[in-house]
Amino acid sequence: MNQAKIDRSAMLDAKIEAILAGEEELIPSSGFLASVMERVQEEAVAPPPIPFPWKQAIPGILATTGVFAWGAVKLFRQGLPALNSPMLPLPHLPAALVVPVEQTGWVALALGVTLLSWLFSRRLAGRGGLL
Amino acid sequence: MNTFHPSAAQELDQADVARVLAGDVAAFEGIVRRWQAPLVNMAWRYSRDRGRAEEMAQEAFLRAWRGLAQWRRESSFSTWLFALAANVYRSELKRFPTQTLPLDAAPEPSGPASQHSELAEKLSGEAVRRAVLALPMRYREPVVLFYFHEMDVAAAAATMGLPEGTLKARLSRARALLRQRFPHLEEEHVNLKFSSQVEGKEAVR
Repeated sequence: MNQAKIDRSAMLDAKIEAILAGEEELIPSSGFLASVMERVQEEAVAPPPIPFPWKQAIPGILATTGVFAWGAVKLFRQGLPALNSPMLPLPHLPAALVVPVEQTGWVALALGVTLLSWLFSRRLAGRGGLL
Repeated sequence: MNTFHPSAAQELDQADVARVLAGDVAAFEGIVRRWQAPLVNMAWRYSRDRGRAEEMAQEAFLRAWRGLAQWRRESSFSTWLFALAANVYRSELKRFPTQTLPLDAAPEPSGPASQHSELAEKLSGEAVRRAVLALPMRYREPVVLFYFHEMDVAAAAATMGLPEGTLKARLSRARALLRQRFPHLEEEHVNLKFSSQVEGKEAVR
């Protein structure tokens, strides 16, 4: 019974093999070679793609990574219970004074980042100087 | 059957590649001329669509052109080219899959037609080839490449970048799936042979 099953499988395999091995060969169309060479010639005369300016981008990438890392550390620290490390008591300042100073700091930082990115983009475009 | 002879073409390939890398764009024509039929046929076996096969083969040649300097000469040029082409075809078929029926829905050849045995055999052959396309990609590709490389396991494994044992295992699984799909193929084949013989005898009479 089992032998018959094996024989049958072998015969089926042979038939499938004969079908798949006996595939007719396709002949490429007459214009295929010319069409490939036309595209190759086009690529050969095309100017090379502009490489990504890694040298100029690396400082920016590092700075951005640093800012994000700093932000992550700050968030993590705020999440930690204050009991783990004895903290010095903050000096008591009136809220009316603390809030405007904090906001001014953020505005100054935003202006600084804007200025840096503007200078960086001018440098990339090949125009040095401030104007 | 494919009529290319990779070993005979090896020296010509090396010379043409050297010329192309030295800036002679026209030397690439020799490479395309030598390998156009194998690459189009390989694409045809992947897609079973003539127009698409030529598009895919063209894309493979362009990738070869762009990456010619990456051929390390550790393997033959044909091995490198076929592996590159297989990658191109695989990703093209992932982006735009061929219209295939699921394996279970692939039409099974009808009973033998004694009047048209040749036609019936052609149809059963086509049904099996279509069923190969309906196999999952991990089984389909070994089948396609094994028969494309004229049943050379080592060549098919090199094209896929797989160990030979893995390729053999996948081939075996693919065959099992095809056997399940076409359980009556052998009987039909026998019947077809028998009916052809009868027809032949009747014709003699």
